[in-house]
Amino acid sequence: MTTAAVEHGHGGDAHGHDEVIYQETRDMRLLGFVLFLCSDVVLFSAFVFAYLYLRGTIDEWPPILNGHQLPRLDLPFAEFNSVVLFGSGVTMHHALENWKHGKKGLFDVFMGATIVLGIMFLCGQAYEYSHAAIGGWSSSIFGASFFTLTGMHGFHVFCGVVYLAILWWQTKKGVYDTGHYFGLTAGTLYWHFVDVIWVGLFFLFYIF
Amino acid sequence: MDLAVIERGTALVGAIVVGVFASIALKADWNAKGLDNDTTKLLLGLMAFGCLMVLAASFGLIGPKG
Repeated sequence: MTTAAVEHGHGGDAHGHDEVIYQETRDMRLLGFVLFLCSDVVLFSAFVFAYLYLRGTIDEWPPILNGHQLPRLDLPFAEFNSVVLFGSGVTMHHALENWKHGKKGLFDVFMGATIVLGIMFLCGQAYEYSHAAIGGWSSSIFGASFFTLTGMHGFHVFCGVVYLAILWWQTKKGVYDTGHYFGLTAGTLYWHFVDVIWVGLFFLFYIF
Repeated sequence: MDLAVIERGTALVGAIVVGVFASIALKADWNAKGLDNDTTKLLLGLMAFGCLMVLAASFGLIGPKG
C-alpha cells in the first residue's frame, strides 16, 4: 500500500476495515517515532554527561588556552537565537492545529513561518560559530564540547527543516487529509523535540 | 545603541510572546488523551520553561555575572 493509501486508509474495498488497519498502524508508527526520539535523548545525554565530566576536571571555567582564559559565549545573541527556535515550535504547533481544523491557508502560513524561523536559527548558529572566540573544535574541551553538541543539534535542525519541507510538499500532493495526518504529527513532535534539546544546551553552555 | 541591548530586548519580548502562546497551547491540549498529545504536552511545557529561562537570563537573574 502506498504512503497516501496508508494515510487515507483507502487500500481496498472494505473502507471500515482499512480504517481499523490505519488506526492500528498509526499507533504503532507513533510508538516507534516516540521511541526514536527517546533514543535521540540517549544520544544527546551521552555527550552532555561527557561534557559535564570533562568540565568537572578543570578548576577554572572557561578553561585557559595559551595562557589566556577563554571568554564566555555571547549570551544576548544566544537568547535571541533561542527565542527564534522556540517561536518556530509555537508556529509548528499552530500549523498542525490548523491542519486538523481544515484551515489549509493558515496551515501554509504557519508551516512557512516554521521553516523560515528554522533557517534563521541555523544562520544564527553559523554566525555564532564564526564569531565565538573559544578557539576551534580541537583547541580545548570547551570548543570540542560546544561545537560537537551544538553541531549535532544544528544537524538535527537542518534535518528538521528538510523534513518539514517534504511534509509541506506532501500536503500539496494530497497525501494527508484532516482525519489522516500522521506524518504532520510526527513532524511536529520532532520539531518540538529539537526545541527542547536546545533548552538543555542553552542552559549548559550559556547559563551554567 | 549597543547590539547586545537590541538582542536582549528582542529576546525579552520574544520570550514573553512565545511563552504565552506556548502556555495557551498547553492549556488547550491539557485534557487531550493519547501518546502524541501527552508527548506534545511534555515538550510544550519544557519549551515554555525554556522561555522562562531566556526571560530570567535577559533580566540578569541567571547566567554569568560581569
